Amino acid sequence: MATADDGRPGERANARWYALGYPLFWLVAVFLAPLALLVVSSFYVNVPGGSYRPGFTLDNYARFLDVSPGSGWPPIEANIYLRQLWLTIEISLVTAVVSLLLGYPIAYYLARMDRPWLRSVLLVTIISSLWVTYVIRAYAWQVILASGGILSSVGVAVGVLAEPRAFYPGYWGLVVGMVYVFLPFMILTLYTSIRNIDAALFEASKNLGAGPTTTFRRVTLPLSKNGIASGTALVFILALGAYVMPRLLGSSAERTLPVLIEAQIMGESNYPFGAAMSIGLIAVVLVFLWLMVRFTDVTAASLGGEQTVEPDGGRPVGGGATDGAWDRIGSVAAAVGLTRLVGRLGAVVGRIDARRRERLLWTASRLYVAAVMTFVAAPLAIIVAVSVTPEQFLTFPPGGISPRWYVEFFTDASWMLAFVNSLGIAAAAAALATTIGGSLAFALDRYGYRWGRLFGTFGVLPILVPPVIVGVAFLIFFLELGLAGSRTAIVVAHGIFYAPFPFILISQGLDELDRTYEEAAMNLGASGTLTIRTITYPLLRANVVSGALFAFILSLNEYIIAWLLSLFLVDTIPIQIFNSLRYGYRPTIAAASVVFIGLTVVVMVAIDRLSGGIWE
Amino acid sequence: MSDIALSGITKRYPGGVLAVDDVDLEIDRGEFVTLVGPSGCGKTTTLRTIAGFERPTAGTVSIGGVDVTDAPPYERSTGMVFQDFALFPHMTVYENVAYGMEVRGDHTDEEIDTRVAETLELVELPGVADRTPDQLSGGQQQRIALARAIAPRPEALLLDEPLASLDKKLREQMQLELRRIQEEVGITTVFVTHNQEEALTLSDRLAVMNEGRIEQVGPPETVYDEPDTRFVADFLGTANLFDGTVAAVEDGYATVGCGDLEIRARHRGEATVGESASVVVRPERFAIDDGRTGGNVFEGTVRFKRHLGSSVEYRVESGNDRELVVVRRSGTDARSVGDRLSLSVDAEDCLIVGA
Ligand SMILES: Nc1ncnc2c1ncn2[C@@H]1O[C@H](COP(=O)(O)OP(=O)(O)O)[C@@H](O)[C@H]1O
Ligand SMILES: [Mg+2]
Repeated sequence: MATADDGRPGERANARWYALGYPLFWLVAVFLAPLALLVVSSFYVNVPGGSYRPGFTLDNYARFLDVSPGSGWPPIEANIYLRQLWLTIEISLVTAVVSLLLGYPIAYYLARMDRPWLRSVLLVTIISSLWVTYVIRAYAWQVILASGGILSSVGVAVGVLAEPRAFYPGYWGLVVGMVYVFLPFMILTLYTSIRNIDAALFEASKNLGAGPTTTFRRVTLPLSKNGIASGTALVFILALGAYVMPRLLGSSAERTLPVLIEAQIMGESNYPFGAAMSIGLIAVVLVFLWLMVRFTDVTAASLGGEQTVEPDGGRPVGGGATDGAWDRIGSVAAAVGLTRLVGRLGAVVGRIDARRRERLLWTASRLYVAAVMTFVAAPLAIIVAVSVTPEQFLTFPPGGISPRWYVEFFTDASWMLAFVNSLGIAAAAAALATTIGGSLAFALDRYGYRWGRLFGTFGVLPILVPPVIVGVAFLIFFLELGLAGSRTAIVVAHGIFYAPFPFILISQGLDELDRTYEEAAMNLGASGTLTIRTITYPLLRANVVSGALFAFILSLNEYIIAWLLSLFLVDTIPIQIFNSLRYGYRPTIAAASVVFIGLTVVVMVAIDRLSGGIWE
Repeated sequence: MSDIALSGITKRYPGGVLAVDDVDLEIDRGEFVTLVGPSGCGKTTTLRTIAGFERPTAGTVSIGGVDVTDAPPYERSTGMVFQDFALFPHMTVYENVAYGMEVRGDHTDEEIDTRVAETLELVELPGVADRTPDQLSGGQQQRIALARAIAPRPEALLLDEPLASLDKKLREQMQLELRRIQEEVGITTVFVTHNQEEALTLSDRLAVMNEGRIEQVGPPETVYDEPDTRFVADFLGTANLFDGTVAAVEDGYATVGCGDLEIRARHRGEATVGESASVVVRPERFAIDDGRTGGNVFEGTVRFKRHLGSSVEYRVESGNDRELVVVRRSGTDARSVGDRLSLSVDAEDCLIVGA
């Protein structure tokens, strides 16, 4: 297809391949290779005592999938791994459905409200919490749910509880924590999809005589189906791969597959078996993605956040379109539940006259929004409160205000080392991610490739792989290279894992960039590189910098990959906090968390300002 | 010697579209040539080939006598004005206009200062140097785009529908401005438009393009009065076209049979009996009710009447679903809808073109 006549005179014939070489080196050689190695090593032979021998055995899979009859009924009950796999799927589904039910009204309210400043505040709150490391957020819920924690203290104080009790570890404590961390993804996906509905359609519906509930049922809900589908799918996949929440909020009965994988790797050093279970988890994700692509129009790429061309494509986590297939299989039972709920509500409200009805609905929804926003914001606020408590141990309510834990944080050598490590790793990973994502975006925008779509998929693929698996794959890879347990290893893993963010943001910038500017520059005598320096880069700067900041903030807050690759030799703040949680709740943890949250919020606000409200 | 020469330019896009098909065009120094044709006929592609944004599939481009077919855009000396101006949004007007001299690096700062000032003077916008493009009106942006293109003193000025985004009044004013500045600077200019009126008013010569080919090149009056092809006649201005077969040929004239009627018309080249041909009659060439009975006479009824300001246009139904367009100066030969009339036209004013 490409002939020498294509393109512009003076363009190097091979420029397109040079441009693509760099990102593909990282995304294929350095990312797919470890994944391939993971597959291979799942057939290796474990040597008790922490090593393994290349070979070919199916023992690892046999152990994982063993359902030998006679050992119990139903067969799945006999095999703890399969049982826990099923539990992982169940908890992920519950999380996705609860997030949808809880998140839809919020998203709807946010999308339809008409006070831009309040919307900004609410969105920034939701978004800021999104990036704070799961470790800190799990810690916040431990503080709330522990025996003697806030919930139980309040319960006793108001007389609902006879004596203090713990709400964690356990199934429902875990679900609360999971919903808490994944709800923002759901809200943002739904928000974008509802926002994209032309406001005139609501008016048209009302003008045609439909009341608010009918309008919702007949207009809003059908038009946001794709948002519902991608939001639910996204949360489900994220929940499947979650490690920190199940580990810190679940009891031993709630050890999900990622927790078991980590235990095999870091506890038992049984790499082949850990690899086999990782492949099992990937298989679940792939089967789910296949079902989704098969029965809906939501594409894997759209989950990765790749911009879809359809007007209803969503940011930041994307959304494809769905078609009638969606109705046919009716697979989002949640949507049905939502309709029922609204319908029932509508019946009650229907008896009140129209004007008061609408006012009532808005008041109710405001209260609801306030409640959910409290759910989103309170845990981090509680951490702040804990960090300034003067006491040695957490008490509630705190007995005063003191900076002593901040002083301890900033003067403690091991905290400071972790802090410096975190910042250094995040900065280097951000630089790597930006060069990978940026060069891929640039190459794909500039040159047509026969396999362009595939290369684009490579660009979003890393974040679709559960982080625990990325961590295990890189660990095995870096062990082979002798790099495991180094900061370099973490930087490379984070740089690749988070490359999709700069890739998406820069692709989007290039998409919106009018190529005529570059042509004008060349016409005026600027060479290719001079054009990029004086025109292209300045016009893309906001996207490039936000992409880098995103990668920075994500790397800064990442736990499981860093932990697996640290081999106990490298400390970052999330690792340090996680480890400290084992030894009680010294409020220094809270102080460290607050410093970290502060940093995260500052960077998020910077991104928002830079891009002129990218969340709008 | 010609300043810009296109020879055998052909451009086939990767998808297979043949956008430009064997175009030859020579443009003299200081000349203003317009490429005109319907949307999609290959004008932009031709212009972009001159600027160096597209590599032709075949043929050569030379500017100032030098073959630049393989030279990148930044090594050719052309100044381009883009349809949406493409003023750099992150630079001031001054920086935009200075950009071409700065990136070439062959001017001192003082020279650049002076040149920018002169050029802004030339486009009659001396006061806007410190503004950014979004602080300018459409017409002002247009002038700055022109200033930016000519400031480095390129050998050729290329304009791609630069006036299309302006409203009618501003567009007409800018046409005059553009011509004034072009003559003042004396720069060889290629102007692209799909607007035939604009092409007729502005150009020294115009090249009418259709489906990737140039159908005719010439001064506006020649192309209008003596179209070479049916397409050119139809595209420029309004034309009554009669399609038929040559019935008889005699010394400079031929008779063309068009179903129920025969028209005697002038022909320039070879007309062969039995060949299909079209006859072009411009609407202002008809005489109304001048009493003639022989020759090219059409009886008809006025079906529609339209005032065009200085003239009036009639649509006259004349047998067999044939509708003739007739234009008269306002105040002469006034007729009303429903009036019957007789239209006649001299064979001299009827022109045979290839079908
Ligand atoms: N980059 C391109 N790739 C493929 N086809 C193109 C491209 N640019 C233009 N074309 C096609 O080439 C033909 C001529 O286009 P263009 O030169 O833009 O015409 P004009 O400027 O006269 O409207 C059209 O059919 C158009 O669709
Ligand atoms: Mg064009």
